[in-house]
Amino acid sequence: MPTRPTPVLATRGISKDYGPNRVVSDVSLEFHRGTIHALLGENGAGKSTLMGILAGVRQPTEGDVLLDGQPVQLRSVAQGQAAGVVALPQELVLVGTLGAAENIFLGMRRPGRRGLANRRALARAAAEQLDRLGVELDLERPVAELSAVQQTMVALARALARDARVLVLDEPTAALTDTETERLFGVLRRLRSEGTTIIYVSHRLDEVFALADVATVMRNGRHVWTRPIGETDDDDVVRAMIGRSPEQAFPERSATPGECVLRVADLAGHTLKGISLEARSGRVLGIAGLAGSGRSELLRLVAGAERARAGTIEVRGRDVTRAPVGRRMAAGIGYVPEERRSQALVMNATITSNIALGSLRELSRAGVMDSGRELRRSRELAQQLRVSATSVKQDVAELSGGNQQKVVLAKYLARNPEVLLLDEPTRGIDVGTKAEIYQLVRGLGERGVAVVMVSSEIPELLGLADEIAVLHEGRLIDVVPAASATEESILHLCYRKPDR
Amino acid sequence: MSTRTTSRLASYGTLIGLLLLVVLFAALDSRGIFLTTGNLTNVLEQIAVLAMVAAVQTVVMVVGDFDLSVGSLASLVGVITAQLLVGGTSLPVTILLALLVGLAAGALNGVLVSYLGLSAFIATLATMTSFTGLALLVSNGATVFGLPEGFVAIGQSRLGPVPMPVVIAVVLTLLVWFVLSRTVLGREWYAVGGNSEAARLSGVNTRFVRFTAFLASGFGSALAGVVLTARLASGHPNAGDPMMLMSIAAVFLGVTLSRAGQPLVGGTVIGLLIVGVLNNGLNLLQVNSYVQQVLTGVIIVAAVSLSQFSRARR
Repeated sequence: MPTRPTPVLATRGISKDYGPNRVVSDVSLEFHRGTIHALLGENGAGKSTLMGILAGVRQPTEGDVLLDGQPVQLRSVAQGQAAGVVALPQELVLVGTLGAAENIFLGMRRPGRRGLANRRALARAAAEQLDRLGVELDLERPVAELSAVQQTMVALARALARDARVLVLDEPTAALTDTETERLFGVLRRLRSEGTTIIYVSHRLDEVFALADVATVMRNGRHVWTRPIGETDDDDVVRAMIGRSPEQAFPERSATPGECVLRVADLAGHTLKGISLEARSGRVLGIAGLAGSGRSELLRLVAGAERARAGTIEVRGRDVTRAPVGRRMAAGIGYVPEERRSQALVMNATITSNIALGSLRELSRAGVMDSGRELRRSRELAQQLRVSATSVKQDVAELSGGNQQKVVLAKYLARNPEVLLLDEPTRGIDVGTKAEIYQLVRGLGERGVAVVMVSSEIPELLGLADEIAVLHEGRLIDVVPAASATEESILHLCYRKPDR
Repeated sequence: MSTRTTSRLASYGTLIGLLLLVVLFAALDSRGIFLTTGNLTNVLEQIAVLAMVAAVQTVVMVVGDFDLSVGSLASLVGVITAQLLVGGTSLPVTILLALLVGLAAGALNGVLVSYLGLSAFIATLATMTSFTGLALLVSNGATVFGLPEGFVAIGQSRLGPVPMPVVIAVVLTLLVWFVLSRTVLGREWYAVGGNSEAARLSGVNTRFVRFTAFLASGFGSALAGVVLTARLASGHPNAGDPMMLMSIAAVFLGVTLSRAGQPLVGGTVIGLLIVGVLNNGLNLLQVNSYVQQVLTGVIIVAAVSLSQFSRARR
């Protein structure tokens, strides 16, 4: 057996804890010179954390990062870059008002004489880096005006200028068209042939099979397997990503479909293209799709957080397409947004005022708050939802994620909604509270509320929803009964792979 | 000492600072004037007009903005009032017009910030500049004298032992306190300042709510302009200008007393008292007025950074 070459970069028993949560657990991986190594896994599998550790953004709780076989401690991005490991985050960090040349050398010792901005030397050095990528572009033009793929090229050139031996790319094609993606792949293959190691994170399996040499699958913070790309296929990968689904206590389903409460017709927005859907009273409609498929946008359009570009939204026959959020709430819509802290809660205010915020008019007379009623209502709801807090006068900032989510739910439940839109209602919430929220969602269905729930956790949709609508790149692919669907069949629809 | 106790102490630091100032001036004041009722009434009278501006500045800062035009608006309304009265307009009509000018100016700021999306800093910096220009135009750049006695009484008479400006300031402050803490509008102001997006997605008409904060600011500034003119018995085109920075300083001093880091009217009043006591005490000690300015700045920095520090540690 030939001796294997020393990997450029490796991890040995890496673990990372956030408080009591272990998000990466005992991961040992090897990344070799001149290979494209795909890192796969569902949301929350620990990929981003691991990438952060490799790039020096985060420090592991346990374990080592090895560079050329030697343990190193990368305590900052700068140290990571000095060691030749450069990560490109999903949202590229470029200064939009500066040109490509300035961006490439930002934060580095610039070419030319020290302390003087020598534009010509800078442009020459920048062109040199872009040349290695086989790319030509206007070096002076503000990068904000460049196309998405050109911006990616600038970011890559920036990495090369830092003598990157290992490039970590997180979903680099998320904002690119098919032709642009092809161009990027050409550049990445070229870098591979020069000996650069590329760690490639993507949710698009077809890309991974087209580009990568090796694939690693992670699940729940653990390393599942690493295989040469020729020895695996997408069924294999999907199964490894899901694993054996953990048994979750989903409440029993009661099948009493009611009348149509919410009707959406030909709805179009930023990514959505002509979506038509119905939500019925007493039913839970699950929405599945990859990040960027438009699943959150669908809820935002219905809730009035964004304006629809075309189409109609009706609640019990009333057209609310152009109505502001307040009028939609009056029509019976409740919306629990995706980002709890930035979109749903006033963090420095009390539980009571957060719950009351959705129904100030109802809790007041002639514009003056009825504080007694406000307090009683919030106590009732907090008790009903079992919010654990010392008092309803506690600031929500001091609560755990699960309890914060309950406060958000209470705010909308206080209004007895007819349609409840839930965007990732259990994200970042502990298992116990998750089960409570499942019970609650099921209970709402029984009380005749139409629930529309977006989740990136497919088992959650399978367990709770009656039907699951699958979106892909802004289009509705299919609506399937949850009872006959499997995690695999939904995921295949999400990736738009025909079910086999 | 536990962190909690330290931060408790720090959050009352501003109040303790006020008490220390009072004790300090009482001790240093060899003539025994400082703690007399007469002098303390003076302190209140000196901060009364500023208190009106600070009360409405509190509202604007609750929604997360600033109003830089409050001082110049007070000046503008002051000279308009003076010109109208000198021109023979009756007192009630004059005051009504003055307040309407204030509301219109506030509406202008509100539209610029809330509906046209300018940053409050830029919008009110611009209107501040224009208001100052208008005040100079209206008064021809000179002080307007010859105001009727009935009007001057608004600034110089007393209700029992209490100077009239203090009465007006207390009424306005109580009104702002009531609206902020007891009404739907107050809740909406705090919600917009705390998290505008969450407020919007909870059905609050955030644009209108922000607009009303500037409207309130225009009204309070105009009232301050009227009272200031009566107190000075003359309309001066720059009389109100210094109140802008001092009102913001008073609100910031008050924020240090708030657990959640939000402006509170009660806190603003403490901030005003610090400013008032400091000026009065230093005057009594016959400290050079330039030195007074330097010290006022130092005290503000000390109080605010102390509370920032304790917050950062939490």
